Order: sequence, then C-alpha cells, then structure tokens
Amino acid sequence: MGLTLRDHVKRYQPGFREIFGLGIVLLVTSFPGWTPDAEAIPPFARKYKVNCNVCHVRWPRLNAFGEQFLENGYQMPGTRDGGLVGKVRLGDVTLDDVSNYIGFLFDVEPLTHSTMRRDVPGAEDQTELANVNLLRMFTAGTLTEDVGFLMDITSLFGQSSDFELGRAFVSFNNLGGMNWGHLRVGRIDPSAYFSLATDRPQFFPVGPKIGSPFGPFGPSIQRWSTLFGSAAASKFYGIFDRNMAPIFPISPTLYNSTVEAGIDLHGRPFGDWFLYQIGILNGGEERWGDTNNSKDWYVMTRFDYAQSDYFSANLSGFAYFGNHNAKVLSGADVSRSRYGVGARIRYRWLDLYGSYTIDRITDLPNGMAATFDDTATGVTIEAHAIVTDRLLLGTGFNHMDAGGELSQRKSATFLSFQARYYLRSNIALQIRNDVNLRDAEGGTSPARNLRNQVVTNVAFAF
Amino acid sequence: MKRPFRILITSLGFLWALGSSLSVYATTLSEIDVSGGALIYERSCLVCHGIDGHGDGPAAFYNSAYSASRPRDFTVGNYKYRSTPSGELPTDQDIFRVITNGIPGAMPSFGGLPESARWKVVAYLKAFSQDATGKKPETVTLPEPAIPTSSASVAQGRSVYLALDCHSCHGVDGRGRVGLTRAKELIDSRNLPMPPSDLTLAGSFKIGPSARDIVRTLFTGLDGTPMPSYANQLHGQEVDAWHLANYILSLSPSN
Ligand code: HEC
Ligand code: HEC
Repeated sequence: MGLTLRDHVKRYQPGFREIFGLGIVLLVTSFPGWTPDAEAIPPFARKYKVNCNVCHVRWPRLNAFGEQFLENGYQMPGTRDGGLVGKVRLGDVTLDDVSNYIGFLFDVEPLTHSTMRRDVPGAEDQTELANVNLLRMFTAGTLTEDVGFLMDITSLFGQSSDFELGRAFVSFNNLGGMNWGHLRVGRIDPSAYFSLATDRPQFFPVGPKIGSPFGPFGPSIQRWSTLFGSAAASKFYGIFDRNMAPIFPISPTLYNSTVEAGIDLHGRPFGDWFLYQIGILNGGEERWGDTNNSKDWYVMTRFDYAQSDYFSANLSGFAYFGNHNAKVLSGADVSRSRYGVGARIRYRWLDLYGSYTIDRITDLPNGMAATFDDTATGVTIEAHAIVTDRLLLGTGFNHMDAGGELSQRKSATFLSFQARYYLRSNIALQIRNDVNLRDAEGGTSPARNLRNQVVTNVAFAF
Repeated sequence: MKRPFRILITSLGFLWALGSSLSVYATTLSEIDVSGGALIYERSCLVCHGIDGHGDGPAAFYNSAYSASRPRDFTVGNYKYRSTPSGELPTDQDIFRVITNGIPGAMPSFGGLPESARWKVVAYLKAFSQDATGKKPETVTLPEPAIPTSSASVAQGRSVYLALDCHSCHGVDGRGRVGLTRAKELIDSRNLPMPPSDLTLAGSFKIGPSARDIVRTLFTGLDGTPMPSYANQLHGQEVDAWHLANYILSLSPSN
C-alpha cells in the first residue's frame, strides 16, 4: 500500500479532518445510487469498461488476470496496447481521459477497540472513534506503446496533513520480445510479482499507535497488529535507519518494502509457467538519495500453474542481499539480507497464500553478538473465501520469531479473522479481529499485552 | 559491492542456463501452433477462457462468482453476440468485433492486439466448436431502411415493448429490478442467476449502444441467456424493431 510503519505512527487527536472524513464516508455509503454507471469506478475499470472483479479476487487483491495486466506494465496481457484506449494525442504520446488515469483510495476506521492486559500501568482498554487512516491519490496508465507509469501520493489524516510521495515509476515493457523483460525504474515495490505481494493486502493494514518516537521500546505503544504480515516485516528490535530513527519490527522492509528507489526487471521468456525478477535498490530505508553509498540486490523466481478448472497455483522464492542498509544503536552500519518463499492457490471461491522469510544481519560490530540475535524469521498464512458475490470471509496467521537486541526482543503470534462486505466492488465495509496467541506477561510489550483488537474499516477506491 | 556483483553474475548465469534449456520448449510451442492463434490465445485469453476453451480459466470465477456471466465456453458454440439466427454459430466478423470492442463490464477490449493477431485468434476459437457441416453461417436480414427516432416512433416502440411482454423481464420502466419482474427466476445456460439488463443505462448494452445493435439483438436473441429471439413475433412487422430500439434508447437519454 506504499506505507511504512513510520507513516502509521499516530498521535490520536480527534480533529476536524477525522470528523469530516467520517462524514464523507457516511454520505457516500448511504447513497448507493450515487455513481451512475454501476461498478466501474477506479481508473483501470473506467478505462477498460469492466468491473473491478475482472482483475481482483475481490478488491484489493489481484486475481490471475489482474496479475498479468500488472506484469505487462498496465497493458492487456499479450498486447502492447499503451495508448490505444487513449483519447488525446500529443505527437506520439497519447493521454487518456483524466478520469481514466487518476484514482483515489480512502480508508477510514470508524471504530477500533483494543483490549490490553490490565496489570500493565497505563494500558487500558481503548475505544477509538473515526480514525481516518489514509487518503491516497494515484495516477497510473500508459504513455505510449509499451510504456506504463504509476505514481501515488498519500496523506495520513490521523497524523499530518502533508501529502507524501509513495511509488513513482515508469515501466518499459516487452523489451526483447513479448513478455521477455519489463523494466521498472523509479520508486517501486519489489514484491509486486511475488506470491504474496505486500501491496494490496486483503487484511487492511491497521496502524499501531505509538506515543513517543522510541515507541517500540517505550511503554506507550498501544496497538500492535499484523500490519502487513510477519513475513514482510522487519522483525528486528533495536535497528535504525540512516537518521537513527527506529525501524519498527512490524514495518515491511527489504524485498517486501512498499517503496524503495531502484530498477527492477522481470519477465516470462519461456511461457506462462516461469517468471524471473531481478533488481537493484538504494536500500537503507531511504526514501530519497543513497547516503549509505551501497546498493541492495535481489533475485526472485516464480513458477505458475494456471490453465483451467478455475484453478491457479504458484510458488516463488527470492533472495535479497543488503549492504549497509541499517544501523545499530552505536551508529555502526549493519547489513540485512532476506531469503523467502511464498505460495498461492486460488480455486473458485478460495484464495490461500502464505510466505516464510528468514532475515540475517551481518557485519555486526565486535562484541554485539552476545546481546544481539542476528537471525529472525516470519510466517504469514492467509485464507479468504468468497461466500457470496459481496461477502468475503478471511482468516490469517502471523508468527514472528523476532531478532535484534535481546533485552527488547519480543516475538509475536497473532490470529486474525475478518469479514468484508462489498457494497459495490470498490466499496468495502470490514470488521477485523486480531487475537494474541501468546501468553500475557509482565512488562509493556504490545506483542504480549495487546490481547485482542477489533477494528472496523470502510475503504473505497474511485 | 563485490559480493552482490558475484551474486548477480551467478544468477544471470543461472537464468541463461535455464533459458537455453527451455528455449527448446518455446520452439515446440510455436511449431504446434501453425496459424499463430494458439500462442495469442494462451497469452491473452486463456486466463479467462481456459486452456480448452471451456470458460473455466484461472480468473474466470471472480467477476461472476455466483451470478452470470462467466467467460464463454467456446466448445458449446453458444454465442451471444451474433448477426446470425438463434441457435447458429456467429460469423467471423461477429467474433472479431467482440475481441476488438470487448464486452462492457465483463471482458476488456483486445483492440490492442494487431488486427492480424485478432483474426488468427478468431480462427483458433472456431476450432473449439467446429460445426460438423462446416457450412458458412448466414446472417439475419434487418429491416431497411432504419427508422430515425421521433416522438411518434418512441411512442409506437413503447406499445410494442408492452405487447411483446418485454416488461415481464425488463420491467415497465426498463430497469429490470429484481422483485418487480421475473428477474429472480432468470438463469443462463450455466444455471447462474442472470439479471436482465438495465435498459436505462447506456453502458449496459454489451453488444453496442446503437439502434442497429438493438434491432439485431431482437432478431438474433442472446443465445445461452433467457433473452429470446423475436424474429417470429416480429414477422410481418419487422419495422417495429426500429421503433422498439428507438424506445429503448430513449430510456437512457445520456446516450
Ligand atoms: C478478463 C477475462 C476475459 C479475457 C482475458 C477474455 N475474455 Fe472473452 N469473455 C469474457 C467473458 C466474461 C465473456 C462473457 C460475457 C458475457 O456473456 O456477457 C466473454 C465472451 C467472449 C466471447 C463470446 C462472445 C459471444 O458472442 O458470446 C468471445 C468470442 C470472446 N470472449 C473472445 C475472447 C478472446 C479472443 C480473448 C483473448 C484475446 C478473450 N475473449 C479474453 C472474459 C474474458
Ligand atoms: C425472459 C426474459 C426476457 C425477456 C422477455 C426479454 N429480455 Fe431482454 N434481456 C434479458 C436478459 C436476461 C438480458 C441480459 C443478457 C446479458 O446480460 O447478456 C437481456 C438483455 C437485453 C438487451 C441488452 C443487449 C445487450 O447488448 O447487452 C436488450 C436491448 C434487451 N434485452 C431488449 C429486450 C426487448 C426489446 C425485449 C422484448 C422484445 C426483451 N428484451 C425481452 C431477458 C429478457
């Protein structure tokens, strides 16, 4: 979703924006007839005049056709159609109708209830109203044949009114032949083609509430839930970015980052059954620039089976090699690497997927080995079922075997359930419950003391 | 920097080795596919229409999970958007047109394929439902000349609409709302519930939004759906089809 945990750090102040946001949501959802042409709302749906579910299992997760469209750099599979559906020609560049390449995403948590363990000082049950999560504007499409682009900017209403640039890249498609190589350049999300892409989570991300800049260690962290899944998460306690801001253990990172600057090449030169991906990133959790003066690299391969009987399956594995992409408390550089596998099965109403990752920190300063665990692992498994045309039920399991500073480290295991009802294929009402499977214990860690959390959520894209 | 370079070189080497051993596979694929249609079908259509053309591709379920329309099963030969009488196969032009324009709501346009590629895939699709006789399908003759719209024609169209009982499915107001019509009982050839089109929405005409498209649909029917052909009822009063079309288009004024 183009977010890091940093984005989600919220100091809750119910303000005008939240109330305004909730007002908009109520307004929109209470007038189901407000959009004349039924379901085709977000830009690609508008552009190609099809329902959202042509590309999505249920928005936002992609189905096999949506994946092909994405892989082909926002062109219909097997084509170089960039611009053909366009309306305005500027020389050899074609622009679509504005509405065909601009979209909005809006996400509100009208009601959140967290159950904390009572004997922790300051940790009480909390109920929050109208937590406006994010408003995102994005623009995506094709500039001309075989050239696609995407850019998104996001505002996190709960936190600041600034719009922040998320992904922004140009994609040069079908280099060397149809499906041979597609090159993305810019601010990208590397895991886009992995079995479990970080982007478009079926469980809407729920941000933690953190009361001080050093939240993960201090007593004031109040919400912890499986933001993007443990397999994607950073998993280490006590590591920092270039500016010595903590990298939160639940923040998606490395291969599974939501945005990193770099170059990525992927393709299917041998037919639909095999995909390769290879990329270079600035790494180092840097949104701009490359002050660590070194690059991170990754390779991913994916095998697909998808022919008939409403069935598809894939299996993928990657290796990500980091280079001075984090710091420890002393300010010394360390290198984080990650190895992961993922799989996904879709059969009619069932969407089942999971991923397992192992993270390693190398180049630890001398003498830290005794107090710092250099290995961490994470598992995410999710299953979703399309119960009726409008109802999706899901469950997810996340287990993080955390690493990092032994004094702070807390592993976490959560089980999640959700029900999502689609008023239209682009408007979802959701209720999600996360249950802590670990025993409660003393101390202040939300990984143990957040016992249960119910979040309601309204999201729409248009 | 040194280690990642080694890794990159190694992985490129690995990919190259894999590639050269697999290029054998790639050649066999294009050799089998004499006309070129198979490869295009596999890249662009298989994911919805399925490897054997049964309309059960890996992405076929979602848009129509528990209601119509799933991607067409080409082996049944039960095409909706034809210019031929009910029960017949479509002409090549009919198929070409669907590929080029897409089907609003259900199937995106594949106009991005070069024209020659679209013709190749037409040939490939026809092989799924080879008519044993191999005879060329005849097209229906539409009443000519077209009758331009006018308030008199629209009024005449409305009485034909009621006389032919269109409202039993589409509703008196044309919106086909479930509850006011037989909409609830309607199913398609796959037994999936199929609501009648909302005739007041310009975007809901899948075959095209012109009067000629609607007139053609009245004579051909939409095979595989509850929407029948009216060729028999209109016999002798064929021009009524134009009035009817003018009336239907008057329901979606934005058109
Ligand atoms: C995203 C899924 C999808 C893809 C990809 C797709 N189709 Fe379809 N197609 C459909 C659906 C759904 C229908 C049925 C729509 C309806 O009945 O209203 C359909 C119907 C058709 C029809 C039937 C028209 C008729 O008269 O009944 C033809 C022909 C067709 N598709 C050809 C193709 C070809 C050729 C390709 C590849 C170039 C293709 N389709 C790719 C979903 C798809
Ligand atoms: C038995 C029920 C039934 C009756 C009677 C019926 N229709 Fe339909 N009609 C349908 C259904 C179902 C569809 C939707 C087919 C689809 O979505 O593919 C439809 C679709 C249509 C369409 C849209 C075609 C397109 O391009 O998508 C038109 C126009 C139409 N009907 C006109 C009429 C008229 C005029 C009459 C009377 C002469 C009539 N219908 C009678 C069930 C019916």
